[in-house]
Amino acid sequence: MADTATATAVDHHDDHGHSESFWSKYIFSTDHKIIGFQYLFTGMAMGLIGGFFSYVFRMHLAFPGSEVPFFGIVSPAAYNSLVTNHGTIMIFWVAMPVLIAALGNFLIPLMIGCDDMVFPRINRLSYQIFLISAIVLIASFFVPQGGFGGAWTAYPPLSSEAEYNGTPFGAPMWLIAVTLEIVAFLLGGINFITTVMNARAKGMKLYDIPMVVWMIVIASILFMASVGPLVAGAVMLLFDQTLGTGFFDPAAGGDPVLWQHLFWFFGHPEVYVVLLPAMGVVIEIICTFARKKLFGYKMILYSSVGLGILSFFVWAHHQFISGVDPRATYLFTTTTLLISIPVALMLFAMIGTLWGGSIRFTTAMLFALSFIAEFLIGGVTGIWLGSSGTDIYLHDTYFVLAHFHYTFVPIAIIGTFSALYYWFPKMFGRKLNEFWGKIHFWGTIIPFNGIFLPLFILGAAGQHRRIAGYTAYPDLYTENFQDLRVFATGSLIVLILFQIPFFVNFIVSLKRGQKAGPNPWNANTLEWVAPSPPPHGNFGDDLPQVYRGPYEFSVEGREEDYWPQNEPDPGPSETSK
Amino acid sequence: MLEYFLPRASSFAGSIDHLFDLITYLVMFWFLLTMAFFFYVVFRFRAKAGQKAQYVTGEKHKEKMAVEIPHYLILVCDLVILIYTFKVWHEVKIDMPEFDEEVRVISQQWAWTFEHAGADGILDTDDDIVTINELVLKKDTQYKYELQALDVMHSFSIPVFRLKQDSIPGRNIYGHFKPILEGEWDIQCAEMCGYGHGFMPARVKILPADEYDAWIAANTPADAANTAYANNDESELKEASNNG
Amino acid sequence: MVGFLASLVAATSSANDEKGKQLYVNCVACHQADGSGNKLLNAPAIAGLSEKYVGEQIKKFKEGHRGGDPRDATGLQMRPMSMLLTSEADIAAVSKYVASLPAKTHPDTIEGGNPETGKALYMTCQACHGADGKGNDLLNAPSLLGQHDWYHVAQLKKFKDGIRGGNPADITGSQMRPMAMTLANDQAVKDVVAYIQTLNK
Repeated sequence: MADTATATAVDHHDDHGHSESFWSKYIFSTDHKIIGFQYLFTGMAMGLIGGFFSYVFRMHLAFPGSEVPFFGIVSPAAYNSLVTNHGTIMIFWVAMPVLIAALGNFLIPLMIGCDDMVFPRINRLSYQIFLISAIVLIASFFVPQGGFGGAWTAYPPLSSEAEYNGTPFGAPMWLIAVTLEIVAFLLGGINFITTVMNARAKGMKLYDIPMVVWMIVIASILFMASVGPLVAGAVMLLFDQTLGTGFFDPAAGGDPVLWQHLFWFFGHPEVYVVLLPAMGVVIEIICTFARKKLFGYKMILYSSVGLGILSFFVWAHHQFISGVDPRATYLFTTTTLLISIPVALMLFAMIGTLWGGSIRFTTAMLFALSFIAEFLIGGVTGIWLGSSGTDIYLHDTYFVLAHFHYTFVPIAIIGTFSALYYWFPKMFGRKLNEFWGKIHFWGTIIPFNGIFLPLFILGAAGQHRRIAGYTAYPDLYTENFQDLRVFATGSLIVLILFQIPFFVNFIVSLKRGQKAGPNPWNANTLEWVAPSPPPHGNFGDDLPQVYRGPYEFSVEGREEDYWPQNEPDPGPSETSK
Repeated sequence: MLEYFLPRASSFAGSIDHLFDLITYLVMFWFLLTMAFFFYVVFRFRAKAGQKAQYVTGEKHKEKMAVEIPHYLILVCDLVILIYTFKVWHEVKIDMPEFDEEVRVISQQWAWTFEHAGADGILDTDDDIVTINELVLKKDTQYKYELQALDVMHSFSIPVFRLKQDSIPGRNIYGHFKPILEGEWDIQCAEMCGYGHGFMPARVKILPADEYDAWIAANTPADAANTAYANNDESELKEASNNG
Repeated sequence: MVGFLASLVAATSSANDEKGKQLYVNCVACHQADGSGNKLLNAPAIAGLSEKYVGEQIKKFKEGHRGGDPRDATGLQMRPMSMLLTSEADIAAVSKYVASLPAKTHPDTIEGGNPETGKALYMTCQACHGADGKGNDLLNAPSLLGQHDWYHVAQLKKFKDGIRGGNPADITGSQMRPMAMTLANDQAVKDVVAYIQTLNK
């Protein structure tokens, strides 16, 4: 199987030598690393927009009716549009491009030891469609009546009738943008799966594949299997919006709840689509910095497969009180509580990996460890919501909001930062500054908890989501609750301010950071064999050969505490592969 | 724990609170145990000069068991939660007890209309009392509610009742509650319904039997053919029976 | 830090005297930046209305005297929006800003109205709204110019059915109601609205 590696990706390699213009090198490149960077920087730019939105509506909630600096007064229409697009951007244009597309593109060929993706031009097309989707979304904020404001779940009839949502242009553009983004990721997913199955280095068996690669592959499979109903639903919704069909219009014989099923059939596996790559990143980092072999490689792998399968049978836990047959919740509560088992198993295996290790607290490791702790909070709070009995009360309150931010922030923000601090030397040949990295870490983690812990309390007190100010609710507009809202907003400002050291560190380290050799962390996987940064074609003419699994740290009887995958076994015991 | 924030004003609020407490105890036990273990491991196995990490695969039977056994225990906890969840869910959403009073809740952009059955206890008769954004209930009376939406989806949420139900255009959704506490609290919309979603507040007023009867008497339309207004200070309007 | 944030917000607010213009941000989604309204959302033109009339109507919405009838779906949509204005000063500031917006003419959308017949029917109206339709603040009569014809039709029907002006607390609305009842049928409503449209020219 591995022999096909060189054959598949050969055709575009002829143009190696000649000097390339800026455009062909950075904009229309087919190099998987450049496409990874394109995804990374687009995702980070969109993250800034999504973060700005959260700043605006949090300020509005803390000081209702006041003018928000850099924005102005937040009208109810603007508030709805801000929360809708904050959610949409953070999931579709930040978490997915950074965790799956950027890391998948950058890491997969390097970690499995081949020179590029097997379909480099499809890869380029994937990014170009993604970029168009981002432009369409941003353009939708500037059309007459502004951007869509019907929540990121876009429940019809609100989303299907301009008469109800007030955005005759914003709503279809939002939907088109989401659909294009999904097309981009389908193309990317095909590429990831095919590349990993067909282009692995000589000697790399399935159980020798680094866990992050496995996770991206499983996530891609999950995404491709779950997204079909959403695309079908999106086309139906677009027809409802623009052609006046009635798929979701009860007056025309349609059913608005149908959309919820189509959306959440995709929407729940989507959580695991972004979770798994983040878990993979964390696994790579804790193995390297604990100098430990991964605890239970197969157990984690099978758990994640089981998690993926189970994730297709839990979607209706988003709809317990939405008018589906109440008896259906018996099934969906059961599957939802069962899904805690594989997730917990993976977290326990991570802690098991730390046991007996020799832990080095680099910035990347601090982020990875905080992922475990913070994601655990996000995971356990899901139990209250997965239980249909308590969900009657907690559904659509700030408890839900705090719960899923405790999963998505560790995934999309903490996971991304740990990956950046870890692979930055490989990406750009220099290390990020560790001192400023640690300041950035504490400045991120502490305010993050300051934002969302108060929101658990507000949610338990019955405060509902997506409400543009609580001035109209005497039970909720009390001094104590308002103090909590102000505290959460203040924490958000601190969190945003502490991202400045990161961006400065990032830019300064690009030029002046400490030079890194090919393997600055003494890690085992194949990307550390290539030079830093790797040239187009990654490993030159000699593709690496694999002799062992990716996590052979601290093997007894060896001088070094690491053992790269490509290093041949010493002495006469060397097996012919 | 929830009663610290909000009183239990319906017959099933206590059940939901107890389920919440049960989950809290079980989850917090495992959560704190895991966190403590995690920080212990991170502290104990920090890098020390001259100390090498152990080589553990996690593939041996004993090592696998170390991870698996806690999960069997978690599974048992899950089962306990499940059984109690089923019981509560059945009580709130599936069981439909015999009711004494009916009320119709109509949601629209961006207001709640409440049709009280009035003196005869039957909806769609001349003595129905229609109010906007104010639901008036009789204490210790089993109610059946009928939930409708005129335009988009809304969600009828009374936090003190621990009750929530989405309303769907084109459907009548039925449910029940029994107010057990006198007082006045918020009703919120819990489903994004457009520009005014955050500004469709309503209040639920629970009155003892005598005050409730007085309220009925004061607000029953005197002449069904006339759109006369009640002489109360609120903006409650009668529905004119001659134009449905 | 919280104090810092609060003072930041306060400083930027007080630095700007255009309070009414700021608050009008809340109205833009439906009534548009120039106050010309939006048929899609059943929002009337508010440019060209007097400061007094706008202020009075906002107060009526807030108190539920207007938009307080279960059958008044569009009035119920306006009602929560009026709650965004929490003080008398806010209402005054917004009303002042709305009154400063110049009126615009809007194309005819209602078909079948006869302005000739309507002219005779308008005799009833002109006592308060004036022969030129400009309204009269002393009589609490709004200007009828620069308004969408579909809005006039909808409001006249609401007055006739008691959906608007049916609440005794709405004194000026109650005054309008019997006047609207002089229009015998839908055709009469269309005719008078067709005549009002000609006053814009």
